[in-house]
Amino acid sequence: MDAFKLMKELRANYEQEGHYIPKETGLNLIESTSQNGGGISAKCRDAQVEDLWGLSSFFAYSTQTFVLAVNLLDRFLALMRVQPKHLSCVGLSCLHLAAQRSTLDSTLSSGHELIRIGQRRFTASDLSRMEKIVAEKLHLTASAVTPLTFLHLYHQVALSQSPSSRKEVLSLDKLEAQLKACLCRMSFSKAKPSVLALALLRHEIQAVQSDDMLEMTHHVQRHLKIADGELEHWGECVARCLSDYESPRCSRPNHRKLLWVVSRRTAHNLQTSSCCAPDLPTIPEAGWDHSQSEDLSEDLSSGEESLSSSLEGPGGYFPLHLRRRR
Amino acid sequence: MLTCNKTADRMVVDAPNSNGPFQPVALMHFRDVAPAEQEKLFIQKLRQCCVLFDFLSDPLSDLKWKEVKRAALSEMVEYITHNRNVITEPIYPEVVHMFAVNMFRTLPPSSNPTGAEFDPEEDEPTLEAAWPHLQLVYEFFLRFLESPDFQPNVAKKYIDQKFVMQLLDLFDSEDPRERDFLKTTLHRIYGKFLGLRAYIRKHINNIFYRFIYETEHHNGIAELLEILGSIINGFALPLKEEHKIFLLKVLLPLHKVKSLSVYHPQLAYCVVQFLEKDSTLTEPVVMALLKYWPKTHSPKEVMFLNELEEILDVIEPSEFVKVQEPLFRQLAKCVSSPHFQVAERALYYWNNEYIMSLISDNAAKILPIMFPALYRNSKTHWNKTIHGLIYNALKLFMEMNQKLFDDCTQQFRAEKNKEKAKSKEREEAWVRIENLAKSNPQFLVCVDSSDLNSPVAMETDVPSIEDVQRLRKTVEEGATQLQRDQRKERPLVRRKSELPQDIHTTKALDSHRRGEDMLTTHDGL
Repeated sequence: MDAFKLMKELRANYEQEGHYIPKETGLNLIESTSQNGGGISAKCRDAQVEDLWGLSSFFAYSTQTFVLAVNLLDRFLALMRVQPKHLSCVGLSCLHLAAQRSTLDSTLSSGHELIRIGQRRFTASDLSRMEKIVAEKLHLTASAVTPLTFLHLYHQVALSQSPSSRKEVLSLDKLEAQLKACLCRMSFSKAKPSVLALALLRHEIQAVQSDDMLEMTHHVQRHLKIADGELEHWGECVARCLSDYESPRCSRPNHRKLLWVVSRRTAHNLQTSSCCAPDLPTIPEAGWDHSQSEDLSEDLSSGEESLSSSLEGPGGYFPLHLRRRR
Repeated sequence: MLTCNKTADRMVVDAPNSNGPFQPVALMHFRDVAPAEQEKLFIQKLRQCCVLFDFLSDPLSDLKWKEVKRAALSEMVEYITHNRNVITEPIYPEVVHMFAVNMFRTLPPSSNPTGAEFDPEEDEPTLEAAWPHLQLVYEFFLRFLESPDFQPNVAKKYIDQKFVMQLLDLFDSEDPRERDFLKTTLHRIYGKFLGLRAYIRKHINNIFYRFIYETEHHNGIAELLEILGSIINGFALPLKEEHKIFLLKVLLPLHKVKSLSVYHPQLAYCVVQFLEKDSTLTEPVVMALLKYWPKTHSPKEVMFLNELEEILDVIEPSEFVKVQEPLFRQLAKCVSSPHFQVAERALYYWNNEYIMSLISDNAAKILPIMFPALYRNSKTHWNKTIHGLIYNALKLFMEMNQKLFDDCTQQFRAEKNKEKAKSKEREEAWVRIENLAKSNPQFLVCVDSSDLNSPVAMETDVPSIEDVQRLRKTVEEGATQLQRDQRKERPLVRRKSELPQDIHTTKALDSHRRGEDMLTTHDGL
């Protein structure tokens, strides 16, 4: 697309984006809910989104599917009061709905697979019922305007305006990964998609230190009439989030939360191999004892103590089947 | 009685003659005899028990005297268990001699298949026919060794290297009960006789060497390893060089043998004990295990995975870092294995807390190795349970570091795209060559059009009807010819090659009479 058309597209999406932002009061309610409160807290939501991220990676869904799923989830949670026990069903429904809207991903998984791999406790009929509810409440359309939409457009603008040698500098894959990392944190649900995407792009451009691309972002910002303060604010949040994301620190994962299903044969093998305590008592290779000096010429290894005293005891070392005879 | 000491060194030679002065009378009971006479009676009973009976070829012979011997042995077991100060010096040589006469025998050849064909879980072991007596002799000897009155200083004149060597040879017995007694007996002898320890270890090594490099058949490897386990457990630190060499040259090569399943738990225990004693041995042990890793034997692979997990349970983090790369490369191959048990066992490592902590400390090195295998198999593996386990493994990696995971995903995709581009390029090159060939003016003259297929369609090339009929005729003719050939006599020598034959050899073979033709009776032993 040429630059003029891109700008027009940007403008059009900018006008639409308001429809797809989750209700602010709803989001505030979630953020203020404590962990032990009756409702869903920010931490619950973040955990669910991380889980969805895991499933999208496993099934190799496109970024579009994941971003759309998070958008649906946030909009639904901001609208309806959902009980924590239903959260996983809502999350998976959003993911499934999003997958079905993508041409690539719609063939990739059935609801059954998602439930099985996601180690969920509900059935496929539960899932489809929830999907209907979500679709109804959100008045689902064919597509939605998400931060990813803007990110793709900005990226195209950047490429069209920079010389060909600079094309590899700005990697779309990297930007998408960063966007996904940001979406895992509830605080970004309030951001306008256009602003969030621009903040992300600016952060990356500043990292690669390209001044002409930075100039391009100013141009876009003016075109869309995005306030400086707003962009600054989200720029800071993005920077904080990404520095966390990029830290080399590895945390210890908790394997106990997951369900480990193995075949019967492997389970049997694991049981039998774990018990291998020997029933013969240890024979210590003890230190030097002078009373045994005449034996040592025959003994190649140096010095061992007499053990006859240590092995005595009231029938203590007899094989079990002989002891039972008494 | 006083000639005992001289017979001690000719114990083995005397064995066949012990059927000599057989006293066909049941001796008195110990309780009926005055304490002063008990020693003499004891020696008489011991000598009486040196008579051997036939349980194999004629089980019903001498039933009365078999019972006499059995009763005598039983009584002697009770006697030394419940009485003190009855094991006097003259008793020692008699006991050792009685044991030697009864036990030290040539084991019969096995009727089960040997080597790899022997399946210890399927084939029945041939039990020892004389067990009613042998069991009591073993029990008696054990109680003798365990008695509080037993003095190794006196016994060492009679329990010497020759005795121990013959005892060790008995470990090849097929009867598991016998091996169990032998295990306990040798364990006690090792514990009490310090002077024999080096000899016992050396002889056990020789048994293992012969097993690994020559015969691959020995029934007692598991029992010997159990004894070694208790010995290794008692090693003093720092470990002696002799013991380290034993680990590297004997225990590790034992992993090579096909019948590993018989003794693997004991072997794994020994190896892990060594590593608990000296962690610097970890690197050579793990590298050797990876070297011997089975490539086609899947049940053995599962055993190796069991052992490797046990080793990882006790590994030091500093040693782990040294071996992590080759180790996870092998694990990546195991996870991709089409054999579901191997893949499951490898993936189950992710359920081990200590291993997870080691991995998360070194995730930057490990994830790039494991990721391609895991990610690829999450889609392509045939087994659904494996999909679930792969998801668990990937999820745990995701939790460790999101960015690292994303980087690996991107790299994987980039490589896949590169591969696709390369194969597309290759195909285009072929098409280009084909088009170049077609543009040659001599094309239609040289080439028969029916042979021309595009590279992709070659696998779906179907033979013509005439070809099929011709093939059918050839096959039928060949089959009838084979039937005619089989009716001829099978030759004595199967000729594999067409080399000219030596005339003398041919004559000798033609005039040979087969063994079965000559023997009319079966000469049983």
